[in-house]
Amino acid sequence: MTQQQEVLSIRGLSKRYRGRRGVQANDGIDLDVLPGQVVGLLGHNGAGKTTLVNQVVGLVRPDAGSITLAGVDAVARPDEARRLASIQAQANVPITGLSPRSAIELVGRIRGGERRAVQARTRELVETLDIGAWADVPAQKISGGVARLTAFAMTAVHPGRLVVLDEPTNDVDPVRRRLLWRAIRELADDGAGVLLVTHNVREAESVVDHLVVLDRGRVIAADSPGGLAAGLRGTLTVELDVVPGAQIAWPATVRDVTRERLRATATVPAEAAADVVRWAQGLVETGTVERYSLTAASLEDVYVRLVGDSGGGAHDPDGATTDARTADAVLGGAA
Amino acid sequence: MNGARQALLLAQWQLRRQSTMLPLLVVVQTAIAVATVVGYGLLVGDPPPEVAVFLATGAPTVTLISVGLVMTPQMLAQSKLEGSLDWMRTLPVPRVVFLLSDLAVWTLLALPGMVLGVVAGVMRFDLELSVAPWILVAVLVISLTAASVGYGMASVLPPALAMIMTQLLIFVVLLFSPISYPAERMPDWLQQAHEVLPIEPMAQLMRAGLVDDTFSVPGRSLVVLAAWTAVSVGGALMALRRRA
Repeated sequence: MTQQQEVLSIRGLSKRYRGRRGVQANDGIDLDVLPGQVVGLLGHNGAGKTTLVNQVVGLVRPDAGSITLAGVDAVARPDEARRLASIQAQANVPITGLSPRSAIELVGRIRGGERRAVQARTRELVETLDIGAWADVPAQKISGGVARLTAFAMTAVHPGRLVVLDEPTNDVDPVRRRLLWRAIRELADDGAGVLLVTHNVREAESVVDHLVVLDRGRVIAADSPGGLAAGLRGTLTVELDVVPGAQIAWPATVRDVTRERLRATATVPAEAAADVVRWAQGLVETGTVERYSLTAASLEDVYVRLVGDSGGGAHDPDGATTDARTADAVLGGAA
Repeated sequence: MNGARQALLLAQWQLRRQSTMLPLLVVVQTAIAVATVVGYGLLVGDPPPEVAVFLATGAPTVTLISVGLVMTPQMLAQSKLEGSLDWMRTLPVPRVVFLLSDLAVWTLLALPGMVLGVVAGVMRFDLELSVAPWILVAVLVISLTAASVGYGMASVLPPALAMIMTQLLIFVVLLFSPISYPAERMPDWLQQAHEVLPIEPMAQLMRAGLVDDTFSVPGRSLVVLAAWTAVSVGGALMALRRRA
Protein backbone atom coordinates (compact mmCIF):
# COMPACT_ATOMS: atom_id res chain seq x y z
CA MET A 1 0.00 0.00 0.00
CA THR A 2 2.98 2.30 0.33
CA GLN A 3 4.74 1.83 -3.02
CA GLN A 4 2.74 4.81 -4.19
CA GLN A 5 2.81 7.98 -2.13
CA GLU A 6 -0.58 8.70 -0.55
CA VAL A 7 -2.23 11.87 -1.74
CA LEU A 8 -3.93 12.06 1.65
CA SER A 9 -2.63 10.48 4.81
CA ILE A 10 -4.35 11.06 8.13
CA ARG A 11 -3.01 9.70 11.40
CA GLY A 12 -4.55 9.82 14.86
CA LEU A 13 -6.80 12.74 13.99
CA SER A 14 -8.83 13.98 16.95
CA LYS A 15 -11.14 16.94 17.33
CA ARG A 16 -13.38 17.85 20.19
CA TYR A 17 -15.85 20.72 19.93
CA ARG A 18 -16.00 22.58 23.19
CA GLY A 19 -19.11 24.09 24.66
CA ARG A 20 -21.76 22.98 27.05
CA ARG A 21 -22.31 19.71 25.27
CA GLY A 22 -18.76 19.03 24.13
CA VAL A 23 -18.69 16.59 21.22
CA GLN A 24 -15.78 14.33 20.37
CA ALA A 25 -16.30 14.70 16.61
CA ASN A 26 -13.15 12.83 15.55
CA ASP A 27 -11.42 10.34 17.80
CA GLY A 28 -8.10 8.98 16.58
CA ILE A 29 -8.88 8.61 12.87
CA ASP A 30 -6.41 6.98 10.46
CA LEU A 31 -7.18 7.21 6.76
CA ASP A 32 -5.26 7.04 3.47
CA VAL A 33 -6.19 7.95 -0.07
CA LEU A 34 -3.92 6.94 -2.94
CA PRO A 35 -3.76 8.65 -6.31
CA GLY A 36 -6.27 6.99 -8.63
CA GLN A 37 -8.28 5.65 -5.74
CA VAL A 38 -11.86 6.40 -4.71
CA VAL A 39 -12.21 6.04 -0.96
CA GLY A 40 -15.74 6.00 0.42
CA LEU A 41 -16.31 7.56 3.81
CA LEU A 42 -19.51 6.24 5.33
CA GLY A 43 -21.26 7.14 8.51
CA HIS A 44 -24.45 8.52 9.98
CA ASN A 45 -25.17 12.17 10.48
CA GLY A 46 -22.91 13.26 13.29
CA ALA A 47 -20.39 10.48 12.73
CA GLY A 48 -17.68 13.08 12.15
CA LYS A 49 -17.39 13.06 8.35
CA THR A 50 -17.75 16.78 7.74
CA THR A 51 -15.44 17.62 10.64
CA LEU A 52 -12.84 15.39 9.04
CA VAL A 53 -13.20 17.13 5.68
CA ASN A 54 -13.09 20.60 7.25
CA GLN A 55 -9.80 19.77 8.92
CA VAL A 56 -8.25 18.70 5.63
CA VAL A 57 -8.89 22.15 4.08
CA GLY A 58 -8.08 24.16 7.17
CA LEU A 59 -11.52 25.33 8.23
CA VAL A 60 -11.21 23.41 11.48
CA ARG A 61 -8.02 22.91 13.52
CA PRO A 62 -7.44 19.42 14.88
CA ASP A 63 -6.65 18.88 18.57
CA ALA A 64 -4.23 16.07 17.79
CA GLY A 65 -2.98 14.01 14.88
CA SER A 66 -1.53 14.76 11.48
CA ILE A 67 -2.89 15.40 8.00
CA THR A 68 -0.45 15.07 5.11
CA LEU A 69 -1.65 16.17 1.70
CA ALA A 70 0.69 15.18 -1.13
CA GLY A 71 3.60 15.43 1.25
CA VAL A 72 2.50 18.77 2.73
CA ASP A 73 1.60 19.17 6.40
CA ALA A 74 -1.97 20.44 5.98
CA VAL A 75 -2.36 21.44 9.63
CA ALA A 76 0.68 23.73 9.58
CA ARG A 77 0.10 25.03 6.04
CA PRO A 78 -3.63 25.30 5.34
CA ASP A 79 -3.09 27.67 2.39
CA GLU A 80 -0.95 25.08 0.67
CA ALA A 81 -3.47 22.35 1.51
CA ARG A 82 -6.24 24.28 -0.22
CA ARG A 83 -4.13 24.49 -3.35
CA LEU A 84 -3.87 20.70 -3.38
CA ALA A 85 -7.48 19.84 -2.66
CA SER A 86 -10.82 20.70 -4.21
CA ILE A 87 -14.00 20.34 -2.22
CA GLN A 88 -17.64 19.88 -3.08
CA ALA A 89 -19.45 20.93 0.07
CA GLN A 90 -22.50 19.13 1.36
CA ALA A 91 -24.66 22.24 1.05
CA ASN A 92 -25.13 23.58 -2.44
CA VAL A 93 -23.18 26.71 -3.18
CA PRO A 94 -25.66 29.43 -4.17
CA ILE A 95 -24.84 30.67 -7.66
CA THR A 96 -27.76 33.05 -8.25
CA GLY A 97 -26.77 35.68 -10.78
CA LEU A 98 -24.64 33.20 -12.71
CA SER A 99 -25.44 30.35 -15.06
CA PRO A 100 -24.09 26.85 -14.38
CA ARG A 101 -21.57 27.26 -17.20
CA SER A 102 -20.31 30.65 -16.08
CA ALA A 103 -20.08 29.43 -12.47
CA ILE A 104 -18.08 26.35 -13.47
CA GLU A 105 -15.74 28.39 -15.66
CA LEU A 106 -15.18 31.12 -13.09
CA VAL A 107 -14.38 28.65 -10.34
CA GLY A 108 -12.06 26.75 -12.68
CA ARG A 109 -10.12 29.93 -13.32
CA ILE A 110 -10.12 30.98 -9.66
CA ARG A 111 -8.63 27.57 -8.93
CA GLY A 112 -5.83 28.44 -11.31
CA GLY A 113 -6.98 26.95 -14.60
CA GLU A 114 -6.06 28.62 -17.87
CA ARG A 115 -9.08 30.12 -19.70
CA ARG A 116 -9.13 27.92 -22.82
CA ALA A 117 -8.48 24.72 -20.89
CA VAL A 118 -11.20 25.59 -18.39
CA GLN A 119 -13.71 26.31 -21.15
CA ALA A 120 -12.95 23.01 -22.86
CA ARG A 121 -13.15 21.06 -19.61
CA THR A 122 -16.44 22.78 -18.74
CA ARG A 123 -17.93 21.74 -22.09
CA GLU A 124 -16.77 18.20 -21.43
CA LEU A 125 -18.32 18.08 -17.95
CA VAL A 126 -21.60 19.64 -19.11
CA GLU A 127 -21.79 16.95 -21.76
CA THR A 128 -20.75 14.10 -19.46
CA LEU A 129 -23.35 15.06 -16.85
CA ASP A 130 -25.98 15.80 -19.51
CA ILE A 131 -26.88 19.25 -18.17
CA GLY A 132 -26.48 21.07 -21.50
CA ALA A 133 -30.12 22.15 -21.50
CA TRP A 134 -29.54 24.21 -18.33
CA ALA A 135 -25.92 25.21 -18.81
CA ASP A 136 -26.73 28.75 -19.88
CA VAL A 137 -29.92 29.27 -17.90
CA PRO A 138 -29.83 31.69 -14.93
CA ALA A 139 -29.19 29.70 -11.77
CA GLN A 140 -32.36 30.83 -10.06
CA LYS A 141 -34.27 28.75 -12.62
CA ILE A 142 -32.45 25.44 -12.25
CA SER A 143 -33.53 22.47 -10.13
CA GLY A 144 -31.75 21.18 -7.05
CA GLY A 145 -30.38 18.24 -8.99
CA VAL A 146 -28.83 20.41 -11.68
CA ALA A 147 -27.43 22.71 -8.97
CA ARG A 148 -25.84 19.66 -7.34
CA LEU A 149 -24.30 18.52 -10.63
CA THR A 150 -23.06 22.07 -11.23
CA ALA A 151 -21.40 22.03 -7.80
CA PHE A 152 -19.70 18.77 -8.74
CA ALA A 153 -18.50 20.27 -12.02
CA MET A 154 -17.19 23.33 -10.15
CA THR A 155 -15.06 20.92 -8.12
CA ALA A 156 -13.97 18.75 -11.03
CA VAL A 157 -13.26 21.47 -13.57
CA HIS A 158 -9.74 22.02 -12.28
CA PRO A 159 -9.35 19.27 -9.72
CA GLY A 160 -6.68 19.25 -7.04
CA ARG A 161 -4.54 16.19 -6.29
CA LEU A 162 -7.26 15.35 -3.77
CA VAL A 163 -10.95 15.76 -4.58
CA VAL A 164 -13.40 15.63 -1.69
CA LEU A 165 -17.05 15.10 -2.57
CA ASP A 166 -19.60 15.43 0.21
CA GLU A 167 -22.85 13.69 -0.77
CA PRO A 168 -22.52 14.47 -4.49
CA THR A 169 -25.61 12.51 -5.56
CA ASN A 170 -28.17 14.23 -3.32
CA ASP A 171 -31.18 15.47 -5.33
CA VAL A 172 -29.77 14.06 -8.58
CA ASP A 173 -32.14 12.01 -10.74
CA PRO A 174 -31.38 8.29 -11.22
CA VAL A 175 -30.21 8.61 -14.82
CA ARG A 176 -27.76 11.43 -14.15
CA ARG A 177 -26.66 9.72 -10.97
CA ARG A 178 -25.11 7.01 -13.12
CA LEU A 179 -23.42 9.64 -15.25
CA LEU A 180 -22.15 11.28 -12.09
CA TRP A 181 -20.74 8.04 -10.69
CA ARG A 182 -18.95 7.51 -13.98
CA ALA A 183 -17.53 11.03 -13.86
CA ILE A 184 -16.29 10.43 -10.32
CA ARG A 185 -14.59 7.24 -11.41
CA GLU A 186 -12.96 9.11 -14.29
CA LEU A 187 -11.57 11.73 -11.90
CA ALA A 188 -9.72 8.98 -10.10
CA ASP A 189 -8.67 7.26 -13.31
CA ASP A 190 -7.11 10.57 -14.37
CA GLY A 191 -4.92 10.41 -11.27
CA ALA A 192 -6.71 12.30 -8.50
CA GLY A 193 -7.36 10.74 -5.13
CA VAL A 194 -11.06 10.95 -4.38
CA LEU A 195 -12.56 10.99 -0.92
CA LEU A 196 -16.27 10.36 -1.26
CA VAL A 197 -18.49 11.16 1.70
CA THR A 198 -21.85 9.48 1.26
CA HIS A 199 -24.87 7.82 2.78
CA ASN A 200 -25.63 6.14 -0.48
CA VAL A 201 -23.81 2.90 0.21
CA ARG A 202 -25.67 0.95 -2.39
CA GLU A 203 -24.69 3.13 -5.33
CA ALA A 204 -21.20 3.95 -4.13
CA GLU A 205 -20.43 0.24 -3.96
CA SER A 206 -19.65 -0.02 -7.64
CA VAL A 207 -17.33 2.99 -7.65
CA VAL A 208 -15.24 2.88 -4.49
CA ASP A 209 -11.96 1.01 -4.15
CA HIS A 210 -11.82 1.29 -0.41
CA LEU A 211 -14.30 2.03 2.32
CA VAL A 212 -13.91 3.62 5.70
CA VAL A 213 -16.84 3.46 8.09
CA LEU A 214 -17.01 6.15 10.78
CA ASP A 215 -19.15 5.96 13.84
CA ARG A 216 -19.06 8.51 16.64
CA GLY A 217 -15.76 9.87 15.43
CA ARG A 218 -13.99 6.51 15.21
CA VAL A 219 -13.08 4.29 12.28
CA ILE A 220 -15.01 1.09 12.95
CA ALA A 221 -14.12 -0.63 9.69
CA ALA A 222 -11.80 -0.02 6.75
CA ASP A 223 -11.40 -2.42 3.86
CA SER A 224 -12.16 -2.97 0.20
CA PRO A 225 -15.87 -3.49 -0.59
CA GLY A 226 -15.15 -7.18 -1.18
CA GLY A 227 -13.25 -7.50 2.07
CA LEU A 228 -16.01 -5.84 4.05
CA ALA A 229 -18.66 -8.05 2.48
CA ALA A 230 -16.65 -11.24 3.00
CA GLY A 231 -18.38 -11.93 6.30
CA LEU A 232 -21.71 -11.93 4.53
CA ARG A 233 -20.75 -14.35 1.79
CA GLY A 234 -23.37 -17.07 1.43
CA THR A 235 -26.07 -14.76 2.66
CA LEU A 236 -28.81 -12.89 0.89
CA THR A 237 -30.86 -9.83 1.67
CA VAL A 238 -34.61 -9.81 1.63
CA GLU A 239 -36.23 -6.46 1.10
CA LEU A 240 -39.94 -5.81 1.59
CA ASP A 241 -42.05 -2.84 0.53
CA VAL A 242 -44.48 -2.84 3.42
CA VAL A 243 -48.05 -1.59 3.32
CA PRO A 244 -48.33 1.41 5.70
CA GLY A 245 -48.99 0.33 9.25
CA ALA A 246 -48.54 -3.39 8.65
CA GLN A 247 -46.61 -5.49 11.19
CA ILE A 248 -44.15 -8.05 9.90
CA ALA A 249 -43.66 -11.35 11.70
CA TRP A 250 -40.22 -12.46 10.55
CA PRO A 251 -39.21 -16.09 10.16
CA ALA A 252 -36.67 -17.30 12.72
CA THR A 253 -33.99 -17.89 10.09
CA VAL A 254 -33.45 -14.21 9.26
CA ARG A 255 -31.04 -11.84 11.02
CA ASP A 256 -30.30 -8.12 11.18
CA VAL A 257 -33.80 -6.90 10.68
CA THR A 258 -34.19 -3.23 9.92
CA ARG A 259 -37.48 -1.51 9.53
CA GLU A 260 -38.28 1.88 8.15
CA ARG A 261 -41.84 3.01 7.71
CA LEU A 262 -42.44 1.43 4.32
CA ARG A 263 -39.35 -0.66 3.86
CA ALA A 264 -37.97 -3.59 5.81
CA THR A 265 -34.82 -5.59 5.20
CA ALA A 266 -33.21 -8.64 6.76
CA THR A 267 -30.28 -10.97 6.14
CA VAL A 268 -31.14 -14.46 4.98
CA PRO A 269 -28.79 -17.50 4.96
CA ALA A 270 -28.61 -18.91 1.43
CA GLU A 271 -30.04 -22.27 2.48
CA ALA A 272 -33.18 -20.59 3.88
CA ALA A 273 -33.76 -18.56 0.71
CA ALA A 274 -36.46 -20.79 -0.73
CA ASP A 275 -38.44 -20.72 2.51
CA VAL A 276 -38.17 -16.97 2.80
CA VAL A 277 -39.36 -16.52 -0.79
CA ARG A 278 -42.42 -18.59 -0.02
CA TRP A 279 -43.00 -16.62 3.19
CA ALA A 280 -42.64 -13.28 1.41
CA GLN A 281 -44.90 -14.40 -1.42
CA GLY A 282 -47.48 -15.25 1.26
CA LEU A 283 -47.24 -11.72 2.62
CA VAL A 284 -47.81 -10.30 -0.85
CA GLU A 285 -50.89 -12.47 -1.24
CA THR A 286 -52.30 -11.42 2.14
CA GLY A 287 -51.67 -7.78 1.22
CA THR A 288 -49.19 -7.03 4.02
CA VAL A 289 -46.37 -6.43 1.55
CA GLU A 290 -46.57 -4.81 -1.86
CA ARG A 291 -43.47 -6.41 -3.31
CA TYR A 292 -40.33 -8.14 -2.13
CA SER A 293 -36.91 -8.90 -3.50
CA LEU A 294 -34.12 -11.25 -2.56
CA THR A 295 -30.58 -10.24 -3.54
CA ALA A 296 -27.01 -11.13 -2.68
CA ALA A 297 -25.95 -9.35 0.52
CA SER A 298 -24.79 -5.84 -0.29
CA LEU A 299 -22.43 -3.39 1.26
CA GLU A 300 -25.40 -1.58 2.67
CA ASP A 301 -26.12 -4.66 4.76
CA VAL A 302 -22.53 -4.71 5.96
CA TYR A 303 -22.78 -1.05 6.85
CA VAL A 304 -26.04 -1.44 8.71
CA ARG A 305 -24.60 -4.35 10.68
CA LEU A 306 -21.48 -2.38 11.55
CA VAL A 307 -23.08 0.79 12.77
CA GLY A 308 -26.06 -1.12 14.08
CA ASP A 309 -23.74 -3.10 16.35
CA SER A 310 -21.98 -0.13 17.83
CA GLY A 311 -24.43 2.67 17.22
CA GLY A 312 -27.45 1.35 19.08
CA GLY A 313 -30.89 1.94 17.63
CA ALA A 314 -30.73 5.70 17.38
CA HIS A 315 -31.00 5.59 13.59
CA ASP A 316 -33.94 3.22 13.55
CA PRO A 317 -36.79 5.53 14.43
CA ASP A 318 -39.55 2.99 14.16
CA GLY A 319 -37.76 0.49 16.34
CA ALA A 320 -36.52 -2.91 15.22
CA THR A 321 -39.03 -5.67 15.00
CA THR A 322 -36.97 -8.02 17.12
CA ASP A 323 -39.95 -9.26 19.08
CA ALA A 324 -41.75 -10.37 16.01
CA ARG A 325 -38.92 -12.13 14.30
CA THR A 326 -38.94 -15.07 16.68
CA ALA A 327 -42.51 -15.77 15.80
CA ASP A 328 -42.26 -18.42 13.10
CA ALA A 329 -45.95 -19.02 12.82
CA VAL A 330 -46.13 -17.06 9.59
CA LEU A 331 -43.22 -18.93 8.07
CA GLY A 332 -44.88 -22.19 8.99
CA GLY A 333 -48.11 -21.02 7.45
CA ALA A 334 -46.49 -19.80 4.24
CA ALA A 335 -44.35 -22.88 3.89
CA MET B 1 -0.95 32.02 -9.99
CA ASN B 2 -0.88 35.67 -9.35
CA GLY B 3 -2.97 37.22 -6.62
CA ALA B 4 -4.23 40.18 -8.65
CA ARG B 5 -5.76 37.91 -11.28
CA GLN B 6 -7.41 35.83 -8.59
CA ALA B 7 -8.73 38.95 -6.88
CA LEU B 8 -10.28 40.17 -10.14
CA LEU B 9 -11.87 36.78 -10.80
CA LEU B 10 -13.26 36.62 -7.28
CA ALA B 11 -14.59 40.17 -7.54
CA GLN B 12 -16.24 39.15 -10.79
CA TRP B 13 -17.82 36.17 -9.01
CA GLN B 14 -19.15 38.35 -6.17
CA LEU B 15 -20.41 41.10 -8.47
CA ARG B 16 -22.21 38.68 -10.74
CA ARG B 17 -23.69 36.91 -7.72
CA GLN B 18 -25.11 40.30 -6.66
CA SER B 19 -26.24 41.19 -10.17
CA THR B 20 -29.88 40.32 -9.49
CA MET B 21 -29.72 42.56 -6.42
CA LEU B 22 -27.93 45.46 -8.07
CA PRO B 23 -31.00 47.34 -9.33
CA LEU B 24 -32.53 47.11 -5.87
CA LEU B 25 -29.28 48.24 -4.31
CA VAL B 26 -29.23 51.35 -6.48
CA VAL B 27 -32.89 52.06 -5.69
CA VAL B 28 -32.22 51.83 -1.95
CA GLN B 29 -29.15 54.05 -2.24
CA THR B 30 -31.14 56.61 -4.17
CA ALA B 31 -33.88 56.49 -1.56
CA ILE B 32 -31.38 57.10 1.21
CA ALA B 33 -29.75 59.97 -0.65
CA VAL B 34 -33.06 61.63 -1.43
CA ALA B 35 -34.34 61.02 2.10
CA THR B 36 -31.28 62.67 3.57
CA VAL B 37 -31.48 65.73 1.35
CA VAL B 38 -35.21 66.24 0.84
CA GLY B 39 -36.42 64.64 4.06
CA TYR B 40 -34.09 66.63 6.33
CA GLY B 41 -34.94 69.71 4.32
CA LEU B 42 -38.58 69.19 5.28
CA LEU B 43 -37.62 68.71 8.93
CA VAL B 44 -35.74 71.99 9.17
CA GLY B 45 -38.00 74.01 6.89
CA ASP B 46 -36.39 76.25 4.31
CA PRO B 47 -32.75 75.92 5.34
CA PRO B 48 -30.32 78.88 5.27
CA PRO B 49 -27.29 78.37 2.96
CA GLU B 50 -24.89 77.12 5.68
CA VAL B 51 -27.40 74.42 6.76
CA ALA B 52 -28.11 73.52 3.15
CA VAL B 53 -24.42 72.91 2.52
CA PHE B 54 -24.29 70.48 5.42
CA LEU B 55 -27.35 68.62 4.18
CA ALA B 56 -26.16 68.41 0.59
CA THR B 57 -22.62 67.33 1.44
CA GLY B 58 -23.88 64.92 4.10
CA ALA B 59 -26.06 62.94 1.73
CA PRO B 60 -23.23 61.29 -0.26
CA THR B 61 -21.50 60.35 3.00
CA VAL B 62 -24.69 58.81 4.34
CA THR B 63 -25.08 56.65 1.22
CA LEU B 64 -21.46 55.51 1.32
CA ILE B 65 -21.71 54.66 5.01
CA SER B 66 -25.04 52.91 4.69
CA VAL B 67 -23.69 50.60 2.01
CA GLY B 68 -20.50 49.91 3.94
CA LEU B 69 -21.90 49.64 7.45
CA VAL B 70 -25.31 48.19 6.67
CA MET B 71 -25.41 46.37 3.34
CA THR B 72 -21.91 44.90 3.46
CA PRO B 73 -22.43 43.21 6.86
CA GLN B 74 -25.90 42.05 5.83
CA MET B 75 -24.56 40.38 2.70
CA LEU B 76 -21.67 38.82 4.59
CA ALA B 77 -23.96 37.56 7.35
CA GLN B 78 -26.20 36.08 4.67
CA SER B 79 -23.32 34.32 2.95
CA LYS B 80 -22.28 32.92 6.32
CA LEU B 81 -25.80 31.63 6.91
CA GLU B 82 -26.25 30.08 3.47
CA GLY B 83 -22.86 28.38 3.72
CA SER B 84 -21.29 30.06 0.74
CA LEU B 85 -18.63 31.82 2.85
CA ASP B 86 -17.34 28.49 4.16
CA TRP B 87 -17.24 27.09 0.66
CA MET B 88 -15.37 30.13 -0.64
CA ARG B 89 -12.90 29.65 2.19
CA THR B 90 -12.06 26.21 0.75
CA LEU B 91 -10.91 27.78 -2.54
CA PRO B 92 -7.17 28.03 -3.08
CA VAL B 93 -7.16 31.79 -2.59
CA PRO B 94 -4.99 33.51 0.00
CA ARG B 95 -7.18 35.08 2.70
CA VAL B 96 -5.80 38.56 2.02
CA VAL B 97 -6.73 38.34 -1.66
CA PHE B 98 -10.19 37.14 -0.74
CA LEU B 99 -10.73 40.02 1.68
CA LEU B 100 -9.37 42.67 -0.66
CA SER B 101 -11.54 41.55 -3.56
CA ASP B 102 -14.64 41.59 -1.34
CA LEU B 103 -13.79 45.05 -0.04
CA ALA B 104 -13.20 46.27 -3.59
CA VAL B 105 -16.65 45.01 -4.60
CA TRP B 106 -18.38 46.78 -1.71
CA THR B 107 -16.36 49.94 -2.15
CA LEU B 108 -17.44 50.11 -5.80
CA LEU B 109 -21.07 49.16 -5.18
CA ALA B 110 -21.49 52.21 -2.96
CA LEU B 111 -20.40 54.69 -5.63
CA PRO B 112 -23.60 55.10 -7.72
CA GLY B 113 -25.58 56.09 -4.62
CA MET B 114 -22.90 58.56 -3.64
CA VAL B 115 -23.06 60.30 -6.99
CA LEU B 116 -26.86 60.40 -6.75
CA GLY B 117 -26.55 61.91 -3.28
CA VAL B 118 -24.43 64.78 -4.59
CA VAL B 119 -26.74 65.35 -7.56
CA ALA B 120 -29.82 65.38 -5.32
CA GLY B 121 -28.23 67.91 -2.94
CA VAL B 122 -27.07 70.26 -5.66
CA MET B 123 -30.45 70.21 -7.37
CA ARG B 124 -32.49 70.67 -4.22
CA PHE B 125 -30.48 73.50 -2.71
CA ASP B 126 -29.07 75.05 -5.85
CA LEU B 127 -25.51 74.91 -4.50
CA GLU B 128 -22.19 75.85 -6.03
CA LEU B 129 -19.63 73.15 -5.27
CA SER B 130 -15.89 73.64 -5.40
CA VAL B 131 -14.74 70.09 -5.92
CA ALA B 132 -11.20 69.28 -4.76
CA PRO B 133 -8.92 67.40 -7.16
CA TRP B 134 -8.50 64.64 -4.56
CA ILE B 135 -12.24 63.95 -4.25
CA LEU B 136 -11.97 60.54 -5.90
CA VAL B 137 -9.33 59.43 -3.41
CA ALA B 138 -11.44 60.76 -0.56
CA VAL B 139 -14.50 58.89 -1.77
CA LEU B 140 -12.53 55.67 -2.06
CA VAL B 141 -11.06 56.12 1.42
CA ILE B 142 -14.50 56.72 2.95
CA SER B 143 -16.08 53.83 1.11
CA LEU B 144 -13.20 51.48 1.94
CA THR B 145 -13.28 52.41 5.61
CA ALA B 146 -17.04 51.93 5.81
CA ALA B 147 -16.86 48.59 3.97
CA SER B 148 -13.96 47.43 6.19
CA VAL B 149 -15.76 48.32 9.40
CA GLY B 150 -18.95 46.62 8.20
CA TYR B 151 -17.05 43.58 6.96
CA GLY B 152 -15.00 43.34 10.12
CA MET B 153 -18.12 43.57 12.25
CA ALA B 154 -19.93 40.82 10.33
CA SER B 155 -16.80 38.63 10.32
CA VAL B 156 -16.38 38.75 14.06
CA LEU B 157 -20.02 38.72 15.21
CA PRO B 158 -22.49 35.85 14.81
CA PRO B 159 -24.74 36.52 11.78
CA ALA B 160 -27.93 37.21 13.76
CA LEU B 161 -26.18 39.75 15.98
CA ALA B 162 -24.51 41.40 12.99
CA MET B 163 -27.92 41.85 11.35
CA ILE B 164 -29.31 43.53 14.47
CA MET B 165 -26.25 45.78 14.73
CA THR B 166 -26.83 47.02 11.19
CA GLN B 167 -30.39 48.05 12.08
CA LEU B 168 -29.06 49.96 15.04
CA LEU B 169 -26.25 51.56 13.07
CA ILE B 170 -28.54 53.00 10.41
CA PHE B 171 -30.28 55.05 13.12
CA VAL B 172 -27.02 56.20 14.62
CA VAL B 173 -25.75 57.20 11.19
CA LEU B 174 -28.92 58.97 10.04
CA LEU B 175 -29.87 60.79 13.23
CA PHE B 176 -27.11 60.78 15.80
CA SER B 177 -24.04 61.52 13.75
CA PRO B 178 -22.60 64.89 12.74
CA ILE B 179 -22.94 64.18 9.03
CA SER B 180 -25.84 66.35 7.94
CA TYR B 181 -25.51 68.90 10.74
CA PRO B 182 -22.56 70.34 12.70
CA ALA B 183 -21.25 68.41 15.73
CA GLU B 184 -21.91 71.35 18.09
CA ARG B 185 -25.62 70.56 18.06
CA MET B 186 -25.04 67.24 19.76
CA PRO B 187 -24.73 66.71 23.52
CA ASP B 188 -21.14 66.75 24.81
CA TRP B 189 -20.90 63.03 25.47
CA LEU B 190 -21.99 62.24 21.92
CA GLN B 191 -19.51 64.75 20.52
CA GLN B 192 -16.76 63.03 22.49
CA ALA B 193 -17.86 59.62 21.27
CA HIS B 194 -17.71 60.87 17.69
CA GLU B 195 -14.15 62.03 18.20
CA VAL B 196 -13.05 58.40 18.25
CA LEU B 197 -15.68 56.98 15.86
CA PRO B 198 -15.00 56.99 12.10
CA ILE B 199 -18.27 58.65 11.08
CA GLU B 200 -17.43 62.32 11.66
CA PRO B 201 -14.06 62.08 9.90
CA MET B 202 -15.80 60.54 6.88
CA ALA B 203 -18.26 63.45 6.78
CA GLN B 204 -15.45 65.99 7.12
CA LEU B 205 -13.45 64.40 4.34
CA MET B 206 -16.43 64.37 1.99
CA ARG B 207 -17.44 67.94 2.84
CA ALA B 208 -13.93 69.26 2.30
CA GLY B 209 -13.70 67.34 -0.96
CA LEU B 210 -16.93 68.81 -2.32
CA VAL B 211 -16.64 72.37 -0.99
CA ASP B 212 -12.90 72.76 -0.96
CA ASP B 213 -12.93 76.57 -0.54
CA THR B 214 -14.90 76.53 2.75
CA PHE B 215 -14.06 73.31 4.60
CA SER B 216 -10.91 71.43 5.48
CA VAL B 217 -10.06 68.10 7.09
CA PRO B 218 -8.28 68.02 10.48
CA GLY B 219 -5.25 65.75 10.36
CA ARG B 220 -6.57 63.94 13.40
CA SER B 221 -9.59 62.77 11.41
CA LEU B 222 -7.37 61.11 8.84
CA VAL B 223 -5.56 59.27 11.61
CA VAL B 224 -8.86 58.08 13.09
CA LEU B 225 -10.00 56.86 9.66
CA ALA B 226 -6.73 55.03 9.04
CA ALA B 227 -6.88 53.41 12.47
CA TRP B 228 -10.43 52.14 11.94
CA THR B 229 -9.56 50.76 8.52
CA ALA B 230 -6.48 48.99 9.87
CA VAL B 231 -8.28 47.49 12.86
CA SER B 232 -11.26 46.38 10.74
CA VAL B 233 -9.15 44.82 7.99
CA GLY B 234 -7.06 43.08 10.67
CA GLY B 235 -10.16 41.80 12.45
CA ALA B 236 -11.75 40.54 9.24
CA LEU B 237 -8.51 38.86 8.22
CA MET B 238 -8.22 37.12 11.57
CA ALA B 239 -11.83 35.95 11.35
CA LEU B 240 -11.23 34.60 7.83
CA ARG B 241 -8.08 32.78 8.92
CA ARG B 242 -9.64 31.43 12.08
CA ARG B 243 -9.99 27.67 12.31
CA ALA B 244 -12.79 26.35 14.52
